[in-house]
Amino acid sequence: MNPADVAQSVLPLTSSDLSLFTLFWNAHWVVKTVMVGLLICSVWVWAIAIDKTVLYTRSRRAMDRFEQAFWSGQSLDELYRALSSRPAHSMAALFVAAMREWKRSFEGNARTIGGLQMRIEKVMEVTIAREVERLERRLLVLATVGSAGPFVGLFGTVWGIMTSFQSIAASKNTSLAVVAPGIAEALFATALGLVAAIPATIFYNKFASEVNKQAQRLEGFADEFSAILSRQIDERG
Amino acid sequence: MRKATAISAGLHAAVLLWATFSFSGKMFDVTPAESLPVDLVSEKDFSEMTKGVKDAPKVETPKPLAEKKAEEPPKPVEDSKAKITEKKEVQAAKEVASPPEPQPTKPDQIADKLKQPDEPKQQTKVEQPLPPKKPPQKPQPKFDADKIAALLDKRDPQRNVAAGLDPNNVPSLGTPSGMAARLSQSEIDALRARLMALWSPPVGVQDPNELIVNVTVRLRPDGRLAAAPFARVNGRSVAAMASRDSAVRAVLTGQPFDMLKPEHYESWKEIELTFDPKDMFRSN
Repeated sequence: MNPADVAQSVLPLTSSDLSLFTLFWNAHWVVKTVMVGLLICSVWVWAIAIDKTVLYTRSRRAMDRFEQAFWSGQSLDELYRALSSRPAHSMAALFVAAMREWKRSFEGNARTIGGLQMRIEKVMEVTIAREVERLERRLLVLATVGSAGPFVGLFGTVWGIMTSFQSIAASKNTSLAVVAPGIAEALFATALGLVAAIPATIFYNKFASEVNKQAQRLEGFADEFSAILSRQIDERG
Repeated sequence: MRKATAISAGLHAAVLLWATFSFSGKMFDVTPAESLPVDLVSEKDFSEMTKGVKDAPKVETPKPLAEKKAEEPPKPVEDSKAKITEKKEVQAAKEVASPPEPQPTKPDQIADKLKQPDEPKQQTKVEQPLPPKKPPQKPQPKFDADKIAALLDKRDPQRNVAAGLDPNNVPSLGTPSGMAARLSQSEIDALRARLMALWSPPVGVQDPNELIVNVTVRLRPDGRLAAAPFARVNGRSVAAMASRDSAVRAVLTGQPFDMLKPEHYESWKEIELTFDPKDMFRSN
């Protein structure tokens, strides 16, 4: 038999429809599940990445603006009045929480200056923890996808190759044209796993360092503000 | 977060859409290799396959190479017949030629008169047989020493000529060593068994390879040696010489090799035998 004829008789079965969709559609349902799951993971990872990028950029800019306003010599009462209705970002929230505690202690009839310093610090600590938690939210998803994604993809690949070997054994034909589609769809699962995991890992590292930076900045501001308030307490007391 | 999710999903959909169209298994350019016709030849076919001279003229029934007529199966009848008929022809010509000669010398008048009306006929009759009397003049061959030399067989007169049923010096396209009637495996094995039983190479030699003896044996149709066996041995040691001599003795004492069938004589008239110590210990 002419080799060209053989090639033509075998190829139409396999390579004519080797598109991405058929590659997915012909797979075993376990592999399909893995693929769909990884695709959803990838969508979710990118959604988180976009969300966080926007959030951190905004937060950083707001902090810059606030610090500028704070150190501009503006009256803190005015600043508090402008922000107290709705604190837009973490540093403003910190400032508002501390100022609220301060005002409560002074504006009431009973002056409770004794533990004011400690109370303010506690309030700021809690606010920082809450703000950092807000910044860090969903970063764990990125870490999980980044570490588990390749394994999930590998599981799909192993399963796909397993089933394709079973079909080889069943058909008793070891021609590459018979083996190739099964292995291609199996490898597709690993590819999806990597597609999901690589951005997840990169974004996780980037965002973790960003959160760390912002938390430090908040703590620094809290220390400074606490020092200012402490001086005020001593002057008034 | 909802907006981000929507953007992400949209991005993925776009990438997938692009991938669906761009990701198509590119077919390898398989240039079909020029097909090579392959014949499956069985071992039997292979051993029966015949060597040939490519530019030899085609012969319908190729004859095996034979320089001398074998004495064994005599076919004298045809030959003698041919000779007899040849001679008869010549005699007949003479007989026809001789009778008309005395006729003109006999002066028998009655007969003359009687034959008068017939004479012209007779004349013609006499004339007709005359031509055979004169043998046709052959062109006299010139004596040329060079041409004679070219015709001479310069080969050693003592050589062992390959004897066949029909002398045939022309290598044909078909079978100079045609094995159509080939040695069967059982014949070969029987021959080997006999020779191996007779051969006793020296034992305890450092290099057994030097004990391997190649013997060329020429046989007559009756299974006896046509010439002294020609033995070659790998080594030069005493053991190798002893092995060679033992092999020659084995061939000499083993004859007649009556396990070889005469109808296959063409294939065993000259045999190359290998005496290998390895073969002595084969289980079969």
